[in-house]
Amino acid sequence: MAALSVALAGMAAAARAQPTPPHTKVSLLAETDAVRPGRPLHLAVRLQMEPGWHTYWRNPGDAGLPTRVRWTLPSGFEAGEVRWPYPQRFTQGPVGSYGYAREVLLLDEVRVPASPVNHEVRIGAHVDWLECQEACLPGKTDVSLVLPVRAAAGPGPDAAAFAEARGRLPVSDPAWRFGAATAAGDVVLTVTPPPGTTVSDASFFPVRPRLLDHGKPQRLERTAGGFRLLLPRDPNGTLAQHLDGVLVAQSGGRTRALEVDVALAR
Amino acid sequence: MRSLALLSLSFVSLPALVSPAAAQAVVGQKAPAFTATDTAGRTRSLSEFQGKVVVLEWWNPQCPFVGKHYGSGNMQRLQKEWTGKGVVWLTVDSSAPGQQGHVDAAQANALMRERGASPTALLLDPDGTVGRAYGARTTPHMFVIDTAGTLVYAGGIDDKPSTDREDVATAHNYVAAALTEVTSGRKVSTATSRPYGCGVKYKS
Repeated sequence: MAALSVALAGMAAAARAQPTPPHTKVSLLAETDAVRPGRPLHLAVRLQMEPGWHTYWRNPGDAGLPTRVRWTLPSGFEAGEVRWPYPQRFTQGPVGSYGYAREVLLLDEVRVPASPVNHEVRIGAHVDWLECQEACLPGKTDVSLVLPVRAAAGPGPDAAAFAEARGRLPVSDPAWRFGAATAAGDVVLTVTPPPGTTVSDASFFPVRPRLLDHGKPQRLERTAGGFRLLLPRDPNGTLAQHLDGVLVAQSGGRTRALEVDVALAR
Repeated sequence: MRSLALLSLSFVSLPALVSPAAAQAVVGQKAPAFTATDTAGRTRSLSEFQGKVVVLEWWNPQCPFVGKHYGSGNMQRLQKEWTGKGVVWLTVDSSAPGQQGHVDAAQANALMRERGASPTALLLDPDGTVGRAYGARTTPHMFVIDTAGTLVYAGGIDDKPSTDREDVATAHNYVAAALTEVTSGRKVSTATSRPYGCGVKYKS
């Protein structure tokens, strides 16, 4: 009977709104200590997850929800798209998801008008996320910061974190060549790295949620020019004209994250 | 010379590059057979329901996405309406022992009673056999099988992936649409969609 009450309480708890899940700390950071008129302002939403907890990438994979940021900006300011550092994959049996453990900075660049109205600006962000460990809990919070408007600005206290996060953004590098085609139950991504680059391991993270089977392993096969990755398809998914996403490759002890966007040949 | 000729005639025959036939449910094909014990202790199989429309609903009582659909009464309404029309509704729990959402028969029955849920049966699948056969990835993850045993729908319950109850009223419910079509002999117009929810808590 005690076990029954616990189970019922657990389910009732899950059904109640969770005001502040304690497993992710969210903060709003600015790279500089001031806003310069007419110059881009670099911001980040930092999510710090407790050990064992993770939040999700722009494509969460099989389960989960991507973190969402909605900005409240002063008049004339305009935010770009959130830029996502490369994720990692979490699997549980056949279920695969994409996201982040420990910490992630979601970067964004805000266009600042040449003549902002005030000497000081307040920037707000409403952040929604899903954090999962064994349990999954939805989270939401409002974070804000206030910055002076000045002709000159120096690095803010979190500038180093921005540099580190930027290093984790996927890059578009024309020295890497990609091709994609379907073959039986797979999408085959052909990769030709720049000459002299040896890749010891690689994995691909798709942007589209319904193309690939996120839980099945990706097989790497060497080719004369580089390698190919066999990416199992979702049998109940949808094919697209393009394969877009991020290739994370280990090369020379470094991790390279490359943007991929190629036509998908049938 | 002759040995060379023989060598040139020999070749390696490559195995067909087909992904292994993972026991996965594919829309348009025969729905995978299964057998599982329900919360009344009875053994149930898909074959038992031959000739009926069958819905499979993957469930985890502690998942906030399941909480959205039960807390809003959405899932219970669907279960009541469609079992009332002769559809077989099977709720499935594939959480492994020790994992979130794993419940025994008594707990499951109590939870269903408390929520006013009325599936035809709730199947306990702690080994994940039924889940893996169907490729069930989320809770909820929904499947609809027609009277000929063909899988005609696989995917999300609706088109608003969130944990917000307010989204239920404005979402397009794929399962209701598929059931309306299949029970009136029509082709299911949206046969797949993105399943969303917590990951099914298989043995890891």
